[in-house]
Amino acid sequence: MRRITAWFKRLGGWWGREGRERALQDELAANIQMNVDDNLRAGMSLAEARRQAALKFGSVDSAKEAVRSQWTLGGLEVTRQDIVYALRGFRRNPGFALTAVISLALGIAASVAIFTVADSVLLRPLPYRDPGRLVMVWETNPHRVGAIHNVISPGNFQDWRAQSHAFEHMALFTYGRLVLSDGRRAEEFTSEFVSPGLPAMLGVHPWRGRLFSGANPLPQRPDEVLISYRLWQSWFGGDESVLGRKIQLSNEPATVIGILPPGFYFKNREADLWESFDLDPARNYRATSGRYLLSVARLKPGITLAQAQAEMSVIARGLEAVDPAFDKGWGVNLEPLRDSMVRDVRQPLLVLLGAALFVLAVACANVANLLLARHGSRRREMAVRAAIGAGWWRIARQLLTESLLLGLSGGLAGVLLANWLVSGLMKLAPQDLARNASVTLDLRVLCFAVALSLVSSVSFGLLPAWIAARRDALGGLREDGRGAIGRLRAGRRWLVAAEVAVSVMLLAGAGLMLRSLTGLLNVDPGLNADRVLTARVTLPRAQYRESAARLQFFARALQDLRALPGVQSAAAIDFLPFYGLAAGTGVTIGGRPPARPGETLGTVVRTVSPGYFHTMGIPLKGGRDFSEFDSTPNSPCRFVVNESFARKYLSGEQVLGKTISVDMADKNPFGEIIGIAGDVREGSVDREPEATVYYPHSLYMPRSEMNLLVRTAGNPMLLVEPVRRVIHEIDPAQPVADFAPMETIVRETFSRQKFSAVLLAGFSLVSLLLAAVGIYGVLAYSVTERTREFGVRMALGAEPSRIVALVLAGGARMLLAGTVAGIAGALALTSFLRTLLFGIGTHDPVTFIAVPLVLAAVGMIAAWLPAHRASRLPAVEALRAE
Amino acid sequence: MDKRTDVWQGTLALMVLKTLATMGPLHGYGIARRIEQTSGDRILINYGTLYPSLVKLEQEGCIAGEWGVSENNRKARFYRITRAGHAQLRKEARQWEETSDIIARFFSPGQEVS
Repeated sequence: MRRITAWFKRLGGWWGREGRERALQDELAANIQMNVDDNLRAGMSLAEARRQAALKFGSVDSAKEAVRSQWTLGGLEVTRQDIVYALRGFRRNPGFALTAVISLALGIAASVAIFTVADSVLLRPLPYRDPGRLVMVWETNPHRVGAIHNVISPGNFQDWRAQSHAFEHMALFTYGRLVLSDGRRAEEFTSEFVSPGLPAMLGVHPWRGRLFSGANPLPQRPDEVLISYRLWQSWFGGDESVLGRKIQLSNEPATVIGILPPGFYFKNREADLWESFDLDPARNYRATSGRYLLSVARLKPGITLAQAQAEMSVIARGLEAVDPAFDKGWGVNLEPLRDSMVRDVRQPLLVLLGAALFVLAVACANVANLLLARHGSRRREMAVRAAIGAGWWRIARQLLTESLLLGLSGGLAGVLLANWLVSGLMKLAPQDLARNASVTLDLRVLCFAVALSLVSSVSFGLLPAWIAARRDALGGLREDGRGAIGRLRAGRRWLVAAEVAVSVMLLAGAGLMLRSLTGLLNVDPGLNADRVLTARVTLPRAQYRESAARLQFFARALQDLRALPGVQSAAAIDFLPFYGLAAGTGVTIGGRPPARPGETLGTVVRTVSPGYFHTMGIPLKGGRDFSEFDSTPNSPCRFVVNESFARKYLSGEQVLGKTISVDMADKNPFGEIIGIAGDVREGSVDREPEATVYYPHSLYMPRSEMNLLVRTAGNPMLLVEPVRRVIHEIDPAQPVADFAPMETIVRETFSRQKFSAVLLAGFSLVSLLLAAVGIYGVLAYSVTERTREFGVRMALGAEPSRIVALVLAGGARMLLAGTVAGIAGALALTSFLRTLLFGIGTHDPVTFIAVPLVLAAVGMIAAWLPAHRASRLPAVEALRAE
Repeated sequence: MDKRTDVWQGTLALMVLKTLATMGPLHGYGIARRIEQTSGDRILINYGTLYPSLVKLEQEGCIAGEWGVSENNRKARFYRITRAGHAQLRKEARQWEETSDIIARFFSPGQEVS
């Protein structure tokens, strides 16, 4: 007990040091004086009395030291001294401390920012029960380009569900949009239509209310709806009485039965409404509809993905035999749910994470380098400390304390910088990344950052400590501890060469990404997106059940839009190009025998209004655009195809006037091709354009959801309000959603490449800068060290240029070694970039020639500064130097 | 230190407590002189050992120090033994007697240790 209170008193001894110090001084002085008094009384002379007292007392300082160490806990006191001493050192040499902290902050910020994104996208488990067992079920048709993750047929799904045993549950879903209105407000919300068992299969528990009961097996929509927490808070103001309330969804009544928990999402974070649907067991979907649904399933415990895949492949082969006309060539592809969500961002994120760690490594090397340089100039000080009794551990501790301080302040600055970077990053991020991730700095990331700064600071602090330990302490006291200096200098040169090597690798990666990005930007997208405003109108089916009503709505809307001042032309299309989604189906060429099962020609189909090609700036290569007369319910069936279609299916034939039939409905009349449109790089510019058939909106079932396009004379966003007013005048309850310039939508296609390219470029610049600082530091230090040598050389008649060459040669050696190693590393590592590159190989010669040149230029500038200084030294002064 | 014996910390604490218990409040120099005299000058007190020991005893609450004026009018810090210090002294003295008793048995002539 007594020990414990004493321990706390000693812990408290950290404070109040000065008062105690004075008291101690007084007490000791008083005691010595009393001794002197006694001696005087014994008859000594004053001098002798003082001498005897001092002898008797011994060293006052060592007595004080012994008392001090009793005041506080030993380790604590030493630590305090170390910290105070380190801070004093940093203050005396702020350039060193700042460079070190900034280097580290940059490295740590880069790693933390990228790790934050990677963590939330790749590492954090999906918010569902046992998410590892959830798989997406795709149809696949390898003969069709890119059809590995194809939407599925409801008919096939019914057979899968009946025949498979690998799944606990198989669910269907699809995306949609619903207009929520309450008489005063009308707004469009992203929705998901799911089979009733899907939320329960995910393992989500409702925040309020209940999930779908699944008791209603009818294909008609049961009028039940789940809402997101977000919608509950925003639209309904968090009102508890919303449960059971009847609301209007796209002009149909629906009952709110539950609220999903905050942050819940499935595949799309923007969804706010969930409605259920189910298939009609009596209906033959394969005969009447195509592939348009998505499926997610939960594997039974103990069943592996491979086992389930094997079973599904057998079932799919069976279906090929049952319905060859529909299923020939189609298989099933299972994909883990998480993979389906990060498919396109995993690779770039991993590459960027690797690059960020490289930057961190360069930063650490730089700090180690700085510490070594500093250590070199402090050899004498360390040796003095050792000579007056500091043990090896004491000195190593001092060095480690310094590097830990640097590491932690670098880490702190890095986290602050990263926090700021992450928000910028997400602005730059491609949509599929931004949509799937709620990216925030959290405790895990902070732990990562602290661990990172500790590991990096200890590792770079150990190096000087190790060198200090290995050296004969007395060596430092001698004027020239040449051996030790040589070892230090060699160590620093290796570090700089390594920095150069890593910078070369980063630069090569960035160079490749930038080259492929410029390649992408130079690809002609096939349309002119300037000054085009897009907006989406989704008509409520309940209100616009008649085809004529839908046609009429859009015809009038376009007519009114064209009358707006500043509008040059207006048109509509079902799916915007570059939006990433389009309908696909089979097509038959007139005059040819019907295709055998599995060999039907595939095509993308798009429904457009008259004037679409003109408005979108797509050139017509032959024939004409649709006119108003092609777009009435009674018009003859007519088509426009794109160049790819003509090239693929009608090569060498007269295209205009040819008839085709598109599989869209039960009866698909043959119609004449009246025009050939230029190719648009539909999916994304780095893919080949697909064969496309355009048909007028009046043909087949006129769609209720269309994208409006308005070409303007000026800034397209200025027309947002006028467009909204036009729609409002036709139907005051009709919302307009997603206003965006077409240019933004096209640019979004590049965002994945741009994201990686910009980040890699940033990383490589930081790394290049750090390496340059490293080169400069080593050479500047060696110039200081060799001042006398240069003085002698100049005194003996060496030209200043000879001195410059001498120093530059030192820099060139580091550069050369680093560059060679870096290029070898880059050649090996850039293969990870393969899927991110467009139009160039991973060993693109231009990049691999340019990178060393850039590096050499920067490196030589860094080397020239100290070289120049060396050549300007006045010979006499140089000779006099220490 | 030729014939004079160095003392170690635990023993020194005991000596300090005993000295203060017998003599009443004393300053550091006084404690040192008294211990040296009591030992017949066979012990030399090192101030580098005495002062940390005083600080430690004070932290443990066995002694309390306060500023006062010495016999020849010098301002000095006087230490007195506290109640806890008395208790500690009794305990330590008992332990010490026991220890020295045991040690003495080892070295008393004609006695075999088995």
